[in-house]
Amino acid sequence: MITPAVPKSWYLPSKPHKFCPGCGHGIVLKALGEVIDELEIQDQTIFGCDIGCSLLSWNFFACDSTQTHHGRTTPVMVGIKRARPELISIGYMGDGGGYSIGSQHLLNAAVRNERVTLILVNNTNYGMTGGQMAPTTLPGQKTETTPYGRDPEITGYPTKGPEFIAQVTPDGAYVARATVSKYKQLKRFLRNALRNQIEGNGFSFVEVLSTCPTNWRTNAQQTWHFLEDEMEPYFPVGELKSPFSKGGEK
Amino acid sequence: MLKVVDETKKAFLTGNETIAWAALAAGADIMFGYPITPQNEVMHYWTRLAPKYGRGFLQTEDEISAGFTVCGAVQAGKKAFTATAGPGNVLMQEPFGMAEAMRLPLFAIIQQRGGPSSGTVIYSQQEVTLTTFGGNGEGYRVVYSSATHQEIYDYTIKGFNVAWKYRWPTFLLGDGYQAKMREPLEMYNPEEKGIELEPAYPLLGLPGKIGEDREPQHLCNIYSLEEELYDVVMNLSADYERVAPELIEWQEHSCEDADIIILTHGVVSRAADDAVKALRAQGIKAGYFRPITLRPYPTQQLREAIAKSGAKKLLIAESSYGQFERLTKQEIYGETIKIEHLYMPGVGIIDHDIINKVKSVL
Amino acid sequence: MAINRALELKSQGRQVTLVDLDTVEPFYTLRPLKELLEQMGLTVIGLTPTNSFGLGETGAMLVPAARWALRREGDIILDVGYGVYGAQTLNLVEGADTSTELRVIAVINYSRPMTSTKGRIIEYVKELGRVDALVANTHLGDETTPEVIEKGTQVILECAEELGIPVDYIAVDRKLADKWSPDFGVPVKWITRYMPAAVW
Repeated sequence: MITPAVPKSWYLPSKPHKFCPGCGHGIVLKALGEVIDELEIQDQTIFGCDIGCSLLSWNFFACDSTQTHHGRTTPVMVGIKRARPELISIGYMGDGGGYSIGSQHLLNAAVRNERVTLILVNNTNYGMTGGQMAPTTLPGQKTETTPYGRDPEITGYPTKGPEFIAQVTPDGAYVARATVSKYKQLKRFLRNALRNQIEGNGFSFVEVLSTCPTNWRTNAQQTWHFLEDEMEPYFPVGELKSPFSKGGEK
Repeated sequence: MLKVVDETKKAFLTGNETIAWAALAAGADIMFGYPITPQNEVMHYWTRLAPKYGRGFLQTEDEISAGFTVCGAVQAGKKAFTATAGPGNVLMQEPFGMAEAMRLPLFAIIQQRGGPSSGTVIYSQQEVTLTTFGGNGEGYRVVYSSATHQEIYDYTIKGFNVAWKYRWPTFLLGDGYQAKMREPLEMYNPEEKGIELEPAYPLLGLPGKIGEDREPQHLCNIYSLEEELYDVVMNLSADYERVAPELIEWQEHSCEDADIIILTHGVVSRAADDAVKALRAQGIKAGYFRPITLRPYPTQQLREAIAKSGAKKLLIAESSYGQFERLTKQEIYGETIKIEHLYMPGVGIIDHDIINKVKSVL
Repeated sequence: MAINRALELKSQGRQVTLVDLDTVEPFYTLRPLKELLEQMGLTVIGLTPTNSFGLGETGAMLVPAARWALRREGDIILDVGYGVYGAQTLNLVEGADTSTELRVIAVINYSRPMTSTKGRIIEYVKELGRVDALVANTHLGDETTPEVIEKGTQVILECAEELGIPVDYIAVDRKLADKWSPDFGVPVKWITRYMPAAVW
C-alpha cells in the first residue's frame, strides 16, 4: 500500500481531485496543506469556499469546512472568527467571488482589519460557468462575455486587489500577491498570512496568480506564457504589506 | 432599426439563444447581467450579436447591480433587461421592488434552478414565490410562465411591450431545461405579424429647458407619513387590479366534463397535456388547465372551469414543494374541490408521473 | 454527430474513443449517454452526471484523460462544443497541433440562426480557426423535413465552395431515408438522433 506524499491535512477520500489538468488550484491547495501541517493548525482550521472552481475544494481538506454562497465567503468566515476567535478562519475564493460580487465584503473586512485569512485565486476568468469575463480579465482578452476582447473603455481596467487592500488596511494587516509559478514563495506568503492570523495582528490576504488552460484554450507552453509573460507583469508579485518585514518581500 | 430576422422561418436553437434573438427583435437597447448557470448563454449570444445591431451590454459586479442598472436605464427611457436564476433572483428582489414601487418597465428572464440556496444549476419550478411575490411589496408584477421555445420568443417580445405599456416589472419565468434544450420555433420580426412595439419614453432626462419648458422630475420610493404610503399602495393596487383582466392568459381543454382537473404551469404543462390525452384514451375524464400568467393569476377562469366541470378533484403537479399550490390556493380560496398534489422539487415531471398519480387518487 | 461517427467506425470493427470537450455550459453533452455508449463498445472519456462532482455547477471541467486522448490507440473522436475560442479548444489536447492524422470538422446546421445565411456561415467558419472539412447537418429536430435539409444543404455547399473547404458528407435522419431523393454529389450518411437522451 503506497502512502501518497501529500499533506496530512488533505482529505484522501476526495482524491484524485476534480480540478482540470493544468489548473493552478491544485498547486495552491498543496502549498496551503503543507503550511497547515507545518503550523499544526489542522484541528483549529475552518476552511470556507465560494461558488465557482473554488467550490471543488469543498471537501479537499481534512479540516472542518463549509461551502457558502457566491461572493459571501468573506462574511461567513468573518462570522466564524468573531464567534470563535480561537479558530483559524481561512476563506478561499476566485477573482469573481472576491473582486466582483464579493468586493464589498472584501473591502469592508479589510477596513475592519478582520482577523481572517483570505486566499483569492486569480485566473482572469469565471472558470466554472464557462469562461466569462472576470474583474481581472486583461485588456483585449477574449472571454464568453467579451467575445471581441475586453475593452477597458466599456468595462474598466483589471482590478488590482492587493493594491487597494493594502491602501485601506491599518497596520497589522498582511497583503501579498503570489504566483503558482513560484511555489516556494507561494508557500512563504501563505505561511506569513496564517501566522498573521495566529498572532492576531490583523487582516491577511493573498492573491495567487493561477492558470486556467481549459478556458484560456492554451496548451502547456501557451499557459505558462500567459501566466509569466502577460499576467505577472500586469499583476506584480510580492508582499505589499507585512508586519514581519519592513518593505515586504518583492 | 436594423432587421433582426432576415426571413420568417423555422429555426433550431436553445431557449437561452432564443431570448437573445427575441430581445433584439423586441427592440431591447441594452442588457445588464451577471454570470449564473443556467442563463449564461443569454449573455453569450447577446454579447456576440448586440454590437452588430447597435445594442449595449455590461456585465455588472453582481445581480443587485444588474437589477439596479436596468432600473436606471429604463428611467432614462431605454428598453433594458436582465436575466438570472436562483440566488441571483434572490438578490434581484431589491431592484425588482424598486421597479414595482416606481412603475419601472423592467423586463427580466428567470431560468429557475434547484433551490433553496445554491441548490442545483439544473432545473426546478422553485422560484414561483420569489418571482411573483418576492421583495417587500404586494406583487405588482406581470409573470409569464413559458412552456415552449415558441412561447419564449413570443412572450419576450410581448413582455417588453407589456412592461412599457402598463409599467409593471415584467418577467418571463423559464427554467434550466427550457434554457438549454434545443427545439424548433418560428423566428419573426414583430411587424410582420402586425405586432407594434411600444414606444419607450424617459422618466428622467426629459427634453426641454427646466423652468421654462418643464418642471424638474423628482422621483422617489420613500414617504414620510403612513397616510402617504397608504394612498400610494391603494392607488398602485387599484391600477394593477384594473388592468389585470387585460393581462391574464391561460390555456384549458377537456375540462367541461372532467372528473379531475390537472393544474400545471410552465414546462410541466407539456407533460400534463400528454397525460390528459393518454388518460382520456383510457376512459379517464381528465381536464387540463394551465395558467400562462402566474401574475395576474387567471382566478376567475379557473373557478369557472371547476364550476362547469363538476370535477371532484384538482391535481397540482409542480417541480417544487408546493409553491404553485400555495399561489393557487390563495387565489381560489373558497373553492371546495379536493386538491391533490404531485411535488417533485428540482426534478422534471413526465406524463407517466402524472398519469400514475391520477390513477392513485381517483 | 460525434456519436454517430464513433458508432459507424465501431461497426467497421475499429477501436473507437469518444472524448467530451464541451466545456462552455455543457448541456447536450456526452455525460448522460456515457454508460449507454460504453455498452455499445465505445470508450468514452468524459464525466457522467453522477460523478460530475454533484455539488452544483455544471462544470467547465475537463477529465485529465482528455488531455492525452491522442496518445491512445485506434480512432479518436473529439467532440468540441461551442465557445468564443472555436477550434482553439484543441490546444487542450496534447499533440493536436502537430498531429498529421487530426481532421477538424465543422458541423453546420442551417436552421441555427447563427448559421442561417450564407454570410453568417462563412463568418462563423472563418472565426473558428482551423477547419479541414464541413458536415452539412441541417435539421429542425422532430420537425425536420427533406425540404428543410435540402435548402440548408444547398447553401452550405455554396459556402464550402467559396471557403475552399470540402464537405465530407450530408447528415440525414435515418427516419427520413425513404423520403430522401436529392443528389448533391456528396455522400449522405444516415444518422440516429441521440441528443434528446443527452439532456443531463
